[in-house]
This record gives sequence, structure tokens and C-alpha cells, in this order.
Amino acid sequence: MVKAWADSLIKAFYIAKKDAKVYYFKAPNFTYGLLIPVSLYLAFSMAGEINSKLIVAGLSSLVILFGTTSIEAVAVVLEKQTGTFERLLVAPLSLFTIVLGKALAGFFFGLILAAVVLFPLAAVSGTVVMNPLLAVIAIAFTSMAFSALGIVASAYAKWVPEAQMLSNFLRFPMVFLSGTFTALEVFPSQLQVVARFLPLTYSVEALRSSIAEPAVTYTYILDIAALALFTIVLLALSTKILEKRIT
Amino acid sequence: MLSRIWSVNCVRNEHEMEIAIAVYDLTKQYGKILAVDNISFTVNQGEVFGFLGPNGAGKTTTIRMLTGQTKPTSGTVTVAGYDVVRESIKAKERVGVVPEVSNIYDEMSAWDNLVFAAQLYGVAKNEREKRAKELLELFGLYERRTGRAGNFSKGMKRRLTIAAALIHKPGILFLDEPTSGLDVQSSRMIRNLTKDLNKNGTTIFLTTHYIEEADQLCQRVAIINKGKIVAVDNPEKLKASVEKHQIVEVSFDQTQNLEHELASLKYVSKVVQVGDKFRLHVRSTSEAVPLLVDFARENGLKIVSIDTLNPSLEDAFVEMTGLSPEVMATEKEQGKKAVSLG
Repeated sequence: MVKAWADSLIKAFYIAKKDAKVYYFKAPNFTYGLLIPVSLYLAFSMAGEINSKLIVAGLSSLVILFGTTSIEAVAVVLEKQTGTFERLLVAPLSLFTIVLGKALAGFFFGLILAAVVLFPLAAVSGTVVMNPLLAVIAIAFTSMAFSALGIVASAYAKWVPEAQMLSNFLRFPMVFLSGTFTALEVFPSQLQVVARFLPLTYSVEALRSSIAEPAVTYTYILDIAALALFTIVLLALSTKILEKRIT
Repeated sequence: MLSRIWSVNCVRNEHEMEIAIAVYDLTKQYGKILAVDNISFTVNQGEVFGFLGPNGAGKTTTIRMLTGQTKPTSGTVTVAGYDVVRESIKAKERVGVVPEVSNIYDEMSAWDNLVFAAQLYGVAKNEREKRAKELLELFGLYERRTGRAGNFSKGMKRRLTIAAALIHKPGILFLDEPTSGLDVQSSRMIRNLTKDLNKNGTTIFLTTHYIEEADQLCQRVAIINKGKIVAVDNPEKLKASVEKHQIVEVSFDQTQNLEHELASLKYVSKVVQVGDKFRLHVRSTSEAVPLLVDFARENGLKIVSIDTLNPSLEDAFVEMTGLSPEVMATEKEQGKKAVSLG
């Protein structure tokens, strides 16, 4: 049993490595992951809505969200379109291993994107990250959860534009409802309830906690647990959708 | 070289050695469409088994079920002794699949494609590079191993796809239209390779548009039509089953409007025009030939050539699938188009 799981994990890493080589680490992907969040930030800042203490966490989370979901959407659908997905399907792997491999590639991509944004942005804005380790853990859980979210869209879609449309449908409401650029507390109570169903809320909250607090807080633990739960549910959902779509 | 690099990775135990693939009451339904209707057959260990059928007959759906890509609605499939649904990973470990369309990663090199395939199949690290080198040499791609696979010709991509399917020394190889769209040289190479692999003990499950190819390569053939298996036998027996109709092939110095008149001749059951020739299905050639001579004389025609033919596997295929000559011609044309695209 343990051997089977280890074997599955190793093969998932091979898929992730292949995806990174084939699809991910190309300049346009990094640009897209950074471009939209920065544009949104500028739009908000021009309207005078930005609290400088909030932007570091919000912008980092957005960069991971846009970077990972964009790339995941393309990676699975493109493989289905070109027929290479069949190569994975006929190999001795479970569908979950394939999904996990795809998510792992997005995970690493998200980590790199976040590193490009969070620490330089903190330095430039004069923000001190009180607990960098907690920040890195929050980024890691965020990357995994958003990668899984991207795979849901891409598992469902039949072609790339459809996957991108679905990704936008999932991520744009989150941008405005998760307290990315403004504190969640200023939202009407109904929207605060809605925000609790969105993974971006927990990502932003966990990152803010790691920036503001030197020690682990109760909120931080709940946020990480929520991101982990989102990851598991979204990976399982992706596997189920793919199974239905291909069989 | 092939025998040196080959040691078949297939059988589960001695008892199951004789049957490589067993299909029982297999059915696949998509909504209201019954794609595969309760089919059963077995493929023996070490044989080349042809799976023929017109477009839309259920070939692809069957292969997808046999290779674990699609779950059957009902029925069972065992491959190398393992149930494809319940023990799918073990079954897949013993199988190589070459799909109809080459599916290598264009962005990766030939070398990286093979190494990645080896990783997916759990080939030991110290074996991967050795296997990749052997296969690239065997398929004449070693010199291009670092080149981006996307820049390869169609024939080279096909060879690389087959090499990737062989990386883990599968005991059973599924070849879906392996020579479709390829030039003559690549097609011949793949046919020879199929024979060599089989000689070395690999069981081959082959689907092809080229019925002549199946006739050359397969020890047994199954014909599927409208989701049902209509025949499973060796090619010679299938040909013999249509021998009740003998065939006379005749050409005249003109071809216009003769089909209908020839069909009305005594003893002629069917007429098919093939290029400038007419193939007449007759009860007896000895009765038909004098009639044809009379027919030519009465109509002021000259017989350019006249020949008697043995039924081909294609004749058996047409008879068993009930395809009209026009539909059969379209099927063949699609195969030829694929060739010209290459």
C-alpha cells in the first residue's frame, strides 16, 4: 500500500516535471500571471481604495491565483486536444495521480511567482514580514489550492477558450469578494458569509497573518486548514469530472 | 537486435499464458447510442489479431475499453490475466498502446519523450537510458535524439510513438492504424517490425483500414459491424466462407453503362466496377465465361482481359459487414487520403 502511494507520488512528480518543461516556465506565462494582478492593483490604487498594509498579501495571493489557474487550464485541455493526454491515460497510473501531477506543476509555478512578488514588494513598500516561514507555508498551500481550482476548469472544458472562460468565471468574483485589496470587515455581512466559501479569502488572511504576527495564530491555522480542505475537495472533484468526461 | 533488447513483460502465470486478451459480453452505451453490443472474443498469447470494421462500427470504443481508457457499461475484459477495470494499473503495465494519431510531446526531444514514457511505466533508472538508446537506434532516430519532436516528419513521429509504446517491453501491443498516412517506406518498416515483435513473442492487437495489411500480418481476424462481432477466424477461413461466390474479372474496350446489363446476365449475382474492370460474382466461372464471350459479341464489344479471382479478405469483409461497394470504396478512399497526407 505504502509502496503504491510512493510509486504514485513519484510518477506525479514526473508528470509535474514534464509539464514544467513543456508548458510552464516560459516568459509569457510569468507575464500573464503578473500582468492582471498588477493591473487590478493599479486600478484600485488610482481610485484611492488601497490600504498599503493590505496590498502585499492581496497582490501576492492574486498573482498565485492568476498564474496557476491560467497555466493549469491550458495544460490539461491542451493535452486533451493534442492527444498526449491519452499517453497518460494508457500508462499505469490512476486518474488521481495524473491530476496530482498536474497540480504539483502548478504548485511549483505558484511558488516561484509568489517569490517574485511577495518579498520584493514587501521590501519596496517597507512592509516587514514578521514570520517568513509562515508566509512561505501560506504561499505553498495557496499554490496547491489554486492549482487544483485551475484543474477543475480544465477538466470540465473541451478546448482552451472554454477553460479560460471557466477560470475567469471562478476567479474574478473571488478578486472582489475575498477582501484582496480591502479588509473583509468592511464588507456587508452577507458578502462576508459568501467570502468564507472562497479559497482566496483564506489565502489573503493567512498571508496577512504571517506578515503581521510573529507567531502562529488560531486564524492562521484555520486558514491553512481551509486551504488544505479546498485542495483535497478540488482535486477529488477534478478527478471525478475527468473520469466522467473521458469515459 | 530486436531479439536482444526484447524480453516480453506479459504473463501473470502459466495457466493464463495461452490467453492474452479475453473479452466477455462487453457492452458500451453512450446515452441512447449502443456503441458496442455484447461482444466476446479472445486473443491468444503470441498471435497477431486483426480487428476490422467499417467507420463507426465500434472499433475505437472497443480499443478504448481494452486499454483501460473507457469503462465498459457491462461485461469484462482481462488483459494478461488482469481485469482492466479492477486491476487497471497491473493490466496497463503489461500493455503498449500506439494510438491512431501519434501522440508524442512535440515540445520535447525524442530522447526526453522516451525517458518520460519510461518513467511513467516505472522502468528502473539505470535501464531507462539504455532502452531509449536501443529503441532510437532500432527506429533510425538516434541521430535526431536531441531534436524537437515537433519538427519530425509524420513517419518519424509515428516511429517515435511506437518506440515510446515499447519502452517497457510490453507483452501485448495495441496498434491502432499503425501505417495510416505513412509513406511506403515507413509503412513497410512498421509492418516488418510488427512481424519481428510477434516473432519475439509479443501479442499484437491490430486495427487497420488496409484489409490487405491485416491479411498479410494477422493470424486471426475479428470483424465488427454496428457494434457486434460478425466473425472471428483466420483470414483463409474467412475467405473460404465467401467462396460460394466465384469471381470473374473482365474488362472491355468500353465501360459505359455495362454494369446494369452485366448484372442481368444469368448466373451473375453481383457486379462491382473497379476502375475499368467489372467484378462479377457468379455461381460458377465455367458457366459464366462463355456467357461473357457471347455478351461481348452481341454488344459489339472486345474483351480486353478476363480473369478468375479467388475471394479476398476484403470480399469476406464486404460480405460480412453488408457494406455496399460504394461505401467500401469510400472507406478505402479515406485510407488512401490518409496516405497522401503523409
